[in-house]
Amino acid sequence: MNTTEKAGPFANSAAKPAGKLAKSAAAAALLTVVLSGCSGSGNSGGDTVTITHYTIDSPDRTFVEKLIPDFEAKHPGIKIKVTKAPYEQFDSKLQSAIAAKNSPDVTSQWGYGGFMEYYNKGMLMDLSPYLGDFKAADYHIPDNVMKIYEVGGKTYGIPLNSYVSVLLYNKDMFDKAGLSYPPTDYEDKSWTFDKMVEDAKAMTVDSKNLAEAQYGLDFGFGERDQRPQYFGANVYSDDTWTNGGKPSQVNLDKPEVIDAYKKIYGLIWDQHVSPSPAFSKSVAGQFGDPFLSGKIGMSVVGSWSLAASSDFNFKVGVAAVPQGPNPKVRSVLYIDPLFVLKDSKHPKEALEWIKYLVSTEVQKKSIDLSGGNPPVNQEAAEAYYAHFDGIDAAQIKQVYEGAYKYGFESYNHLIDNYSQINELFINELASVENGDKKPEEVLPGLQQKLQKLLGRVNK
Amino acid sequence: MSPSATAGLQAQPASRAGRREQLWSKAVSLILLLLVTAAMLSPLAFMVSTSLKTSKELLIYPPQLLPDAPAWGNYAELFRNGEIKFGQQYMNSLIVAVSAVVGTVLSSALVAFGFARYRTKASGFLFLLVLSTMMLPYPAIMIPQFLLFTKLGLHDSLLPLILPNFFGSAYMIFLLKQFFSTMPSELYEAGRIDGCSEFRLFWNLTLPLAGPAMATVAIFTFIGSWNDLLTPVLYLDSQENFTLPIGLASMMSSKFRLAPWNLLMAASMLTAVPIILLFAVAQRRFVEGIVLTGIK
Repeated sequence: MNTTEKAGPFANSAAKPAGKLAKSAAAAALLTVVLSGCSGSGNSGGDTVTITHYTIDSPDRTFVEKLIPDFEAKHPGIKIKVTKAPYEQFDSKLQSAIAAKNSPDVTSQWGYGGFMEYYNKGMLMDLSPYLGDFKAADYHIPDNVMKIYEVGGKTYGIPLNSYVSVLLYNKDMFDKAGLSYPPTDYEDKSWTFDKMVEDAKAMTVDSKNLAEAQYGLDFGFGERDQRPQYFGANVYSDDTWTNGGKPSQVNLDKPEVIDAYKKIYGLIWDQHVSPSPAFSKSVAGQFGDPFLSGKIGMSVVGSWSLAASSDFNFKVGVAAVPQGPNPKVRSVLYIDPLFVLKDSKHPKEALEWIKYLVSTEVQKKSIDLSGGNPPVNQEAAEAYYAHFDGIDAAQIKQVYEGAYKYGFESYNHLIDNYSQINELFINELASVENGDKKPEEVLPGLQQKLQKLLGRVNK
Repeated sequence: MSPSATAGLQAQPASRAGRREQLWSKAVSLILLLLVTAAMLSPLAFMVSTSLKTSKELLIYPPQLLPDAPAWGNYAELFRNGEIKFGQQYMNSLIVAVSAVVGTVLSSALVAFGFARYRTKASGFLFLLVLSTMMLPYPAIMIPQFLLFTKLGLHDSLLPLILPNFFGSAYMIFLLKQFFSTMPSELYEAGRIDGCSEFRLFWNLTLPLAGPAMATVAIFTFIGSWNDLLTPVLYLDSQENFTLPIGLASMMSSKFRLAPWNLLMAASMLTAVPIILLFAVAQRRFVEGIVLTGIK
């Protein structure tokens, strides 16, 4: 705000200092212009094109800065600038940059928003015209993985990293309970959901004394709305996966979905083999994952947890997610792609950068640089499987292969306005998770609220 | 024994009982105060303790309050680790916060002086206009301001965080105006008789007498700027320009890695130092300022 009032009884005598002030203001304005000249980013430099890569400010993402010298040496006409933001502010900074026509060229769904949200907001560029001779097979990217980011035959993203669901288990707890370790082979018919619960029971000490209590299983299969999929029930109608992530129907009132939620929350309140949210919060401390406390026998979780396995205070193993009621889906795939944003002025050069990042050599290099990001390039994947001390590479490989075979992409990547939907599930199911209400009491209300929300956001 | 002596003897046990009661009440108050203080300080104790733990100790359950061997190296690691750039962030935050204090104090004081000492028909309306800008939340002006600074080519520099402070703050103007209005007009008349210009009345007379209010404005501005996360996140892209709040938020950015809570707590400890020092130095004036300007 600029207020330069000078009037009233002292107006004349104030004239002189005001004159000085005016000069000062002019000097400040001049300074601003000079400084602005100094601080201009200046993308132009002859034929050189600058590509902005926008990412989360965390070492497992910003490691790409270390690849820039090599890329620029191989691509003399292209410069890469990495811009970053903390995770929580990733989306707001991106939206502001787009609104101000200062959009980055390359980014991913690293914030709360997912692919469909970006796609439906018209943020993504169709890469098909620029792909030219690009073939997924040349980069050892499986076809089904490549297709995740295609809509109507157009390609909107190139897969970069592939996380899957895995079952991590605490070997010390298994040894103490005299149980044999769970298998890594997805085809092992003896490894079923019921067997997992049975093992969990053998390890559980359901006590109010936190020092004594321990639980056999933390079943974190996908987000809350995807969890019934493991039990063969679908919360959303099938058209969701073909119409741009907008469910035409919600099935929370269907008996199979209600039964699935009964099984999920029954693990806490009926079978008493899973920790309550209160217990999890108490033992998880700052990290948010109760498995790290050493008081959980098995945890179905994203494979990113493998990266921290060397820090655990107990021996850890990796196994297949057991066979459940759904014979087709036993793992959630979290394939992170790279997008070129619609406002990019240099999509061809941006694509060159992406192609470089998914090339076999760079994907291999990225595993160590990132501290264990799983490459989408299957030739580089061998190096990833061997990356974790204390866990046999062959076991990780087998788990990954099974997870790909029985995997379904994470709902948060495929459904529009997912952050709002997820928030609704978290809030509404809290009373069930805390044991205050039964799923069948809460689901009808959630069904109505979700339909209302979808009706509003998908207009 | 005289009656007065008897009364004295009777009074002695009564006053002793009264003293005992007073002692009890003092002891209870003291215990209560100690308990509340301990409760208030426990997060700080946990912060210090975590800042001195190794990565392995962070994962121990139940958590230890005292680490086996204090890892003082965590503090050095903040400055040694080239990826964190803590020293650079500290310097950037200091530059921004000190500039914000200078800008806000000077510009707001000048405007407040105008509103307090000059009267026109439009004074009331103009003051309301100034106050009305307080109704606009930052997100409402965020994008237009972002566009403006981007067009000026100031994006990814510290200037968008500094320059707006040189155009006054409605809240601080209101606060200072309240203080300036309480100054006696005789003081200004005396100054004018001694040949003071209007600017000297402001600079040599008003500002030195407004110490408590200025200290309040300075502290509020410093804390606001020091803790601000949203504005720096919007404008700053390069790590060399990041301020401390971005650095701290970034330490727990990864969804896929364990956050280095020991380093984060060490960084938080060091981040709190300027605020604690500022408050310790300016405490008396700050409290006076709050009393005199009627802020609660």
